[in-house]
Amino acid sequence: MTTTAIFFLIAGLGLITWVFARARAGRFIQSGVASVHSLPSYHGWYAAMWAVVPAVLFLLVWSTVAPALGSYQVLESPLAAQLPTDAFERAAILSEARALSRNPDLKVFNDAAVQLAPLYSAADSRYAMIGALAAFLLCFAGGAFAFTRIRPDFRARTQVERTVMLGLLLASLIAILATLGIVASLIFETVRFFNLVSPFEFLFGLQWNPSDKIVDGQATGFGAVPLFWGTVFIGAIIAMLVAIPLGLMSAVYLTQYASANVRKWMKPILEILAGVPTVVYGYFAALTVAPALRSFAVSIGITDASSESALAAGLVMGVMIIPFVSSMADDSIAAVPGSMRDGSLAMGATKSETIKQVLIPAALPGVVGGVLLAVSRAIGETMIVVMAAGLAANLTANPFASVTTVTTQIVQLLTGDTDFNSPMTLAAFALGLTLFVVTLLLNIVALQIVKKYREAYD
Amino acid sequence: MSASNPPAATASRKTDWMGDAMQRRIARRYAAERRFKFFGLAAVAISSLFLAFLLVVMVGNGAKGFITTEATLTVDLPAATGSISPDQLTGPRLSATMASIDVRRIFDQAVQAQYGKDGARYFATTAWTALRDQLIDNPNLVMGKTRFWLPTSSDIDRAAKDRSTPEAEADYAVLTQKGDVRQSFNMQFLTGSDGTDPARVGIWGALKGSLITMVVTLFLAFPVGVLAAVYLEEYAPKNRFTDLIEVSINNLAAVPSIIFGLLGLAVFLQFLSMPRSAALVGGLTLALMTMPVIVIAARNAIKAVPPSIREAAMGVGASPVQVVFHHVLPLAIPGIMTGTIIGMARALGETAPLLMIGMRAFTTTPPDGLTDPATVLPVQIFLWSDEVNRGFVEKTSAAIIVLLVFLLSMNAIAVYLRNRFETRW
Repeated sequence: MTTTAIFFLIAGLGLITWVFARARAGRFIQSGVASVHSLPSYHGWYAAMWAVVPAVLFLLVWSTVAPALGSYQVLESPLAAQLPTDAFERAAILSEARALSRNPDLKVFNDAAVQLAPLYSAADSRYAMIGALAAFLLCFAGGAFAFTRIRPDFRARTQVERTVMLGLLLASLIAILATLGIVASLIFETVRFFNLVSPFEFLFGLQWNPSDKIVDGQATGFGAVPLFWGTVFIGAIIAMLVAIPLGLMSAVYLTQYASANVRKWMKPILEILAGVPTVVYGYFAALTVAPALRSFAVSIGITDASSESALAAGLVMGVMIIPFVSSMADDSIAAVPGSMRDGSLAMGATKSETIKQVLIPAALPGVVGGVLLAVSRAIGETMIVVMAAGLAANLTANPFASVTTVTTQIVQLLTGDTDFNSPMTLAAFALGLTLFVVTLLLNIVALQIVKKYREAYD
Repeated sequence: MSASNPPAATASRKTDWMGDAMQRRIARRYAAERRFKFFGLAAVAISSLFLAFLLVVMVGNGAKGFITTEATLTVDLPAATGSISPDQLTGPRLSATMASIDVRRIFDQAVQAQYGKDGARYFATTAWTALRDQLIDNPNLVMGKTRFWLPTSSDIDRAAKDRSTPEAEADYAVLTQKGDVRQSFNMQFLTGSDGTDPARVGIWGALKGSLITMVVTLFLAFPVGVLAAVYLEEYAPKNRFTDLIEVSINNLAAVPSIIFGLLGLAVFLQFLSMPRSAALVGGLTLALMTMPVIVIAARNAIKAVPPSIREAAMGVGASPVQVVFHHVLPLAIPGIMTGTIIGMARALGETAPLLMIGMRAFTTTPPDGLTDPATVLPVQIFLWSDEVNRGFVEKTSAAIIVLLVFLLSMNAIAVYLRNRFETRW
């Protein structure tokens, strides 16, 4: 019996419990008992909860314990006594046998695994059987226990509500768990990486030429400065040179000049730019923008222009960020008190003078905060640079040359088989941690600026 | 103010509003005004023109991906197969029959008979699989001599749609003259899976992978997101611990998506040893990414429900849980749905985290379950964009059109829901 089938069966049993418990509670009301505490459906939920929750929890625990029990049983068998004593070899054969027992078509390298596979199948199916039986027993026991507790004065609603509150709390804890998971996994692998490459070498080294080679316990070619520069060059310089003027001016035009009708149509159209998947931008950059820029560069005399130029990736990324900058600028300009604007206009300033000398200076902290958020999004952006920027780790300020970024290299290092002992895989996590820390700092600073500025006008 | 100033000073600085200098100054200021307004208009125009340009390029390239060029091939099936009966091509006997008749050999012979020794250059390398599929769809064809329409080679396909090599252009001219070539809607593109021959690839495999992944994401992220939002907005006490939850959620919303891929790789694949390339892992990873979006949207929607509703429910004796689940949540549902659809649209277009967990499997059959090796539409686009074969350019753009249609319609539904159901109190 598969796990899915067992889950469905238990859900079905829960439903049956719900119906019966509810009907039983309903009879109190019909028989005219004066003081019934909870509505019949609460009794139903209470009983169903007792039937389903313990059984499902047990199954979840069992599914992690059962394979270990199965291995233990196999190791006890006389066949396993003949296995090599070397722990590494032994583990390889055992894991192969287990894989073979699940998928008989698999090709195996060890003959011992073929002999052990039937043992594994037998042990696994035995423990699966035990688990299913125990789950059903729990289900019946829980349902029966709850069923006997149904009385007119039983506070079923209080019990159900207490469980609901527990569920709500658990749901909110998942966010913390995810954050912890990210931080823990990044730090754990990064520490392992720093055993092979010194942090100083990683953060300040100028040579990015990763390889699997380990000499004297040290790996070389992991100087990430060219990557950091490429990321800043594309995400924080070129993209922002496109996004800040266009985004800011679009926001100014749409909020200050455009008629309500134009605004109604143009705002959603600009927002589509943010909704286009990044892989589409990447394809567009690689297919259309990059070749066009290259031929442009060649025509103005830059013969060594790369077809994977920093400019192509940066331009397209800038366009992607426009709606982001624009909506942040929009918010901050809208937050400037109307009296400041009216005062300036009343003094005889033209609209553009009011915007340039009153509104934008007053909204500046908000705009700066928005730009920082946009930068943090741009440097974390992956697909555009993977598809349009190159892999060559150059330290150059020539926009027509090819540079590489942190995210490109993460994808590059983790493509194909990932071996968690290779310095290349671990380097990807170190790069990821750097990216995580930088975006986090940018976000914290940006939100602080925005918050302070909002308070100034509240 | 003016009363306290000596009158003589004002008189000496009297401005000549009509003077030349002042008129020039005003003209300059007005010109600056017009210039500024023009810059604003230009910024909006450039941004929207870029969008239009992108869409035009994609539609221009991609529209051809939905069209396939086919040439005729007359196959005398009774002679070639040794007169098998149609019911040998149905049910359990199908695979045995297929092995015995060798469609590929039949195809090669028919091509040589009709187009001569080099005839194979007219057809796609996998055209024989199209012949096989047509036979399986309609077994009665083995009873007689039939004229099949089979996909042409990608050179001739491009000659029909655009420009191609001189030889292919010449071949195409010959075929057209004889009426042996036609263009038709490419059903294979919508029903097929990945492959090596652009003439026979399709997006159904990737689309199905996307759908399974999205179902997993929705089933995990929606309940967790809404429940967390309810807790934080309605019940959470103000303390350090709640602040920690809020900070985590806001941070998660700002973390670059590729970091979630690293999390999925380290935790789901390495630590929990879940299967690589599976829709289950992809869904889990994207759920972690989508959950904060849903939490933030749901909190705003719950916040927008006026306190009077809560007080009224409380007043007639509802318990705190009943107040929220019977009264507040139903009123907040439109806002929550809008946020959820937008979050799901973002997840549907996401590529980078799925590359990290290996959802770039080359699978020629659609995934059948949560743990089958699968790929998703954006990753399929990425994989095709790397192909050197020119025929994949139009397929990539066509897949992008399909993805954009899905995303834009999801966003349109979100906007519609917002306008139709959202109440302003």
